[in-house]
Amino acid sequence: MALNLDYVFRETGTNLVRNVGLTVASILTVAIAIVLVGASFVIRTGVANATLQFQGGIELIVFMDPDIRTTQREAIERSLDDNPEVERFTYVNQREAFEEFKVLFEDSPEMIESVEPELLPPSFKVVPVNPNAASVSSLADQYEGDAGVKDVVSADDTIRTMQELFRFVSVMCVVVAGVAAVSAIVLIFNTIRVAMFARRREIEVMKLVGATNWFIRVPFMFEGLIQGLTGSVAAVGAIYLGNNLLTDQLEKKGIALLANFAVPSGELFGLAVALLIVGSLVSVVFSGIAASLYLDV
Amino acid sequence: MIRLDSVTKVYKGDVVALKDASCNIGKGEFVFVVGPSGSGKSTMIRLLNKQEGPQAGRIYVAGKDIAELSSWKVPFLRRNIGCVFQDYKLLPNKTIYENVAFALEVIGRPGHVIKTQVPAILELVGLSTKHRNYPEELSGGEQQRVSIARAFVNRPLILLADEPTGNLDPATSVGIMRLLDRINRTGTTVLMATHDRSIVDSMRRRVIELDRGTIIRDQARGVYE
Repeated sequence: MALNLDYVFRETGTNLVRNVGLTVASILTVAIAIVLVGASFVIRTGVANATLQFQGGIELIVFMDPDIRTTQREAIERSLDDNPEVERFTYVNQREAFEEFKVLFEDSPEMIESVEPELLPPSFKVVPVNPNAASVSSLADQYEGDAGVKDVVSADDTIRTMQELFRFVSVMCVVVAGVAAVSAIVLIFNTIRVAMFARRREIEVMKLVGATNWFIRVPFMFEGLIQGLTGSVAAVGAIYLGNNLLTDQLEKKGIALLANFAVPSGELFGLAVALLIVGSLVSVVFSGIAASLYLDV
Repeated sequence: MIRLDSVTKVYKGDVVALKDASCNIGKGEFVFVVGPSGSGKSTMIRLLNKQEGPQAGRIYVAGKDIAELSSWKVPFLRRNIGCVFQDYKLLPNKTIYENVAFALEVIGRPGHVIKTQVPAILELVGLSTKHRNYPEELSGGEQQRVSIARAFVNRPLILLADEPTGNLDPATSVGIMRLLDRINRTGTTVLMATHDRSIVDSMRRRVIELDRGTIIRDQARGVYE
């Protein structure tokens, strides 16, 4: 069937203008839902990056001199092995340390350029038996100053609280996003229903003269696409803006723990594209369903 | 062209609209369906373009059993059936030209076809000079001509008319009947539901009479009763 594009644009334009209030409401709700989904992702990724070193129960990292002697390293390893306070530990060699470094500084290629794996300290990542602050700090003291040890870094309660707080915020975002998504869908349904009701005479005539249901549906689906796409574009813009503001603020306030809070632009771009596609697709599909539902006017 | 085979249609609440109705209408025939209100005339028309389906019996249009027709094929059936109604069903926000062109546009006819067919059909129904007017600026008879133009612009095999003169005065009705007769002469099968006695009596065409859903008379060159 030849679908006349001129016809589709004309019909869609009329519909959008006729229902300007409902259209704006739909677009805004779509935007809110998508902003929340995006925010949840940004927070998750940002915090995960900021606390990359302290994941999976790791509370303590023993950094060693890059030129530590093998015997010295083995001594530390034995000591960790025998320590009843240590649940388990892993050795991170310089190559692995460099990989981690690359993830942390993904957005600063000049940093990565300037660093060679040989410059980075190898380390032991330690999971203690008892993760409370006091015992972690006493464990840290045991290795501080050992031969070949450069520095011992421990995750204290602040980082845990921070992680939990952000996890909670991120989950809340998803929950509210779900609610907003449902409202967006209901609103799109309503917009399409009102549009179809306004055109019920046309639709009746179209059906009588033999227009296919697809032909009747397409302008309404196109209307949904425009709503979804507009809402998604606005949302993606808001996410970029929000991410920049957040990163700026965290830097300015100098919260050391979250100094590394950053969502690499590659991931952010991927997220933006995914959100645009999802937002538009959901809108098109649901306006199509709505149009089919109300086609018997 | 049209065949009804023991067709029964019952609406909610046991309202019997058609009961065991059978008839056979050949290509190019002109048939009046007569009977009092509620006798099943409109139901017969609604069944023929598959706005509804029967509870029992078979309906053949152009050799096809339309009860078996899957719903996505219904639009293509309707492209072969023009429909005219008592209330014209014109779109008030479109001009006469646009109203007729709309019928071609929505079945995907290309622009150049629309540009030649619409003026030709408006010429046929005698409304060439009013193509820029809106329906409300036309008289009832003229509006019905537009509706006939819209139904016939795609050259359907069958034209169904449900009381097309129901809202018109006798003189205007004669004009509409002349037009339908002319369309019939092009080979189009015309089925017209009416209770306009004078029209049926003056045309002397085949008459199918319905009474409470039953065909009680099927007479060639008949009168109203």
